[in-house]
Parts: sequence; C-alpha cells; structure tokens
Amino acid sequence: MVVMTSRDDRPRHLAAAPDGVPDDPNDLLSRVARGDEAAFSALYDLLAPRIFGLARRILRDPAQAEEVAQEALVEVWRTASRYDPTKGSAASWALTIAHRRAVDRVRSEQASTERERRLATEEVPYDDVVEEATARLERQQVRRCLKGLTDLQREAITLAYYRGYSYREVAQLLDTGLPTVKTRMRDGLIRLRDCLGVAVG
Amino acid sequence: MNTDIHTLAGAYALDAVDDIERAAFVRHLAECEGCAQEVTELRATAGRLADLTELEPPARLKDAVLAQVSRTRQAGGAPPAASGETRWRRWAAAAVAAGIIAVGAGAATFVIEDQRVRDAQAQAAQAQQIATILNAPDAVVRTTNMAGGRVTLVTSNALDKGVALVHELSNPGAGDAYQLWLIKGDRPRSVGVLAAGSGDGVKVFGDVRGAGSFGVSHEKVPGATTPTQPLVGGLTL
Repeated sequence: MVVMTSRDDRPRHLAAAPDGVPDDPNDLLSRVARGDEAAFSALYDLLAPRIFGLARRILRDPAQAEEVAQEALVEVWRTASRYDPTKGSAASWALTIAHRRAVDRVRSEQASTERERRLATEEVPYDDVVEEATARLERQQVRRCLKGLTDLQREAITLAYYRGYSYREVAQLLDTGLPTVKTRMRDGLIRLRDCLGVAVG
Repeated sequence: MNTDIHTLAGAYALDAVDDIERAAFVRHLAECEGCAQEVTELRATAGRLADLTELEPPARLKDAVLAQVSRTRQAGGAPPAASGETRWRRWAAAAVAAGIIAVGAGAATFVIEDQRVRDAQAQAAQAQQIATILNAPDAVVRTTNMAGGRVTLVTSNALDKGVALVHELSNPGAGDAYQLWLIKGDRPRSVGVLAAGSGDGVKVFGDVRGAGSFGVSHEKVPGATTPTQPLVGGLTL
C-alpha cells in the first residue's frame, strides 16, 4: 500500500503559521499533543468547518451541533497524544471522534423517541438525503465517487453517515435484509475508497 | 477469522453499530491484522464524506472551544484511570489477552493499561458468554439513557441469559454503587452490583425468561436485597 494519499490533509484556508509556512494538520496535531495552544487554534481553523458541518448535518439542530462540535474539538485537544499517524490522517482521526459524538447524541433518548416515530411513519427518506448531499456538494471527487455506487450502496452509506442511523434502522428504512445492508455498507465503502484513492499505511 | 463478524466492517466504519456490536467488532479487529488495515481505510473513506458537509461555524464556537481548552488538562499517552470509555472497553480488549492493542481506524480512544489485564482469563470467559448471547438468534437489544450515561441490555429467551452493559453513568460517590435488577412480577432479583464508585460495568446473568423489567438502583456498598426507590432508570422487557 502507498503512504497517505488522502486529500483531506490539505490545508483548507491556507492557514499560515507565524513563520509563514502553511500548516499541515498532522504537524499541528503533534504540536497540540505537546500542549501547544497556538497550534490547536490553527488546527481548529482547519477542522472546525467540517466537524461543525458534520454535526449539523447529523443533528439538524444548530445549538446541539455547536455543543457536539465543541465536545469533539475539546476531545481532540485532550487526547491528541493518542493519535497514531500510522492509523490515518489527523483529519480522519478528528472526524472519527466528531462523527461518533454526533451519532451518540442523535441516538440519545430524547432524540430516539422522535426517531422511532419517524422510522414507523416516514416514507423512505433517502431521496432527500442523497439530494441534500449532492446539492451541497463542494467536492467534485467525492460526488463523482458517490455517484459511482449502486443506489443501495449509496443510500445505505449516506443514511448511516449523514443521519446517524444504525444499519438495523437503515435496513428497516430501505426495507432490505440486515445481511444485505451490512454487505452493501462494506462493499460500497470499499468502492468509494478505491475511487477516492484513500490509502493508509 | 470470523467472516460473519467481519461483514460488519462497513457498518462499524460508519458508526452504524450499537455498543455491543462495536465491542464485538473491536475484539475481532484485535485478532485480525488485515481487518484493522481495512477498517482504517474505510474510516478514512467515510471521513471524506464530511467534506460535503463543510459549514463555517459561528465565531463564538472558537472562543468557547479555546476557552475550554485552556482549562482542560490533556490526557497522557495512556488514558486516565477514571476514563469510563477505557473501562467499558476493557472486557472486550482483555478477551484477546495477548499484548494489548491500540486498535485501528483512528480509534485512538482505545488504549488499555497492562495492569488492567490481570483478570484477562475471567474476562475472556465473560466475553465468550457475551458473544454467545449476542449471537443468539432471538437476542433482543434494548438501550436506555440514565444518570448521564447509557445502559444496553441484551437478552435471549432461548438461552435464558442476558447481559447488561453499563456505560458512563455518573459517579455514584465513594462507598456507593449501582446495582442491577431483574423484576418478575413484583419480585426484584439482583443480577449484579457494579464496582463501588463506578458508573461502568458489564454483568452477565441467567434466568431472564418471564422477567417484566430491568432496573438500576443506587445503593450503599455492598448492595441491597431490595432496590432502593426511586430507581435510577429501567427498561421494560
């Protein structure tokens, strides 16, 4: 396998360190691990829009999204020393933390009542998810690769990632068997990985 | 390699599994080198989906985060002893006993202290029991939030067994503990007491058939013979 090709390490806003050198999230994170608050501030600028946007997408509610983004970003600070660069990019690591936090929140009790009702009554909502996802696409490559999936692969992945549904809920929403949904999530992600050229190792 | 559990790789990378499946999958990862690589890549792939959600946060968020950061101590390389997540994951990790792991997928949260593994064999046996319950065709999973944390209960009538996973309940206070109960009719039966002062734990128990509800109470160590009311939380079975 090749080393680190994932594009998501590129600085988003050409943030510059005081000496004028553009910041790289992995470098910043290793400085953050040593307690460097200035590095954290620069890392925030690189990651916060994706972390906040992801929380907002999953939770819908702006106030909750802010809370979850804050929790996730503070966790990045707190646990920076546990980041292992051989396990993926700094951005991927931080987004994993943020996604998990947002999913935990959306599945929490107050949310679950409403979700259960929605599961029981809602007609398959994946169209709007996919539409919403595609409408706001800013990243051509991700959009192109998502389009390269089968409908079922794409629906299963976007319902889980953008809405926080478990694969059981996805199976129910798509009226599809559990083994099929599990398999489509995996082979869909594999296809997406290959299309995006994500390699870690 | 357990190919059946491995089909969960995609769902795991998408956080589309419940706590118990996650624990079972993490255990699987520890035993399967290639799987860890795959999951790391699938997680990185899923992370790319966040590119499509980019949204400028309000400026106050940065102020709030930086303010909190300036008063938040960083964790060392190993997690603090009080980390609920670590403790909760311990049983799954200990199940593999061998040379413990910081497993994949950017899951840097997963670090285990050596000293924690002393009871590895007992925990491995427990993990095996848990896996058996999880794999029961009639296994029913129920989750509820209480006391700032979460309790997941899996029961199988066919096996007449259940397992409760208690995760990050608020600290009951030194000298106090959370106690778990199954209630049949109006008769509560204790199915385990968590460690004193702890809000995390895993309990496996039998005789679940016919139970109408499950409850958690707050008790003085070493536990009570009937649950102190009001219960901290509960589930209807």
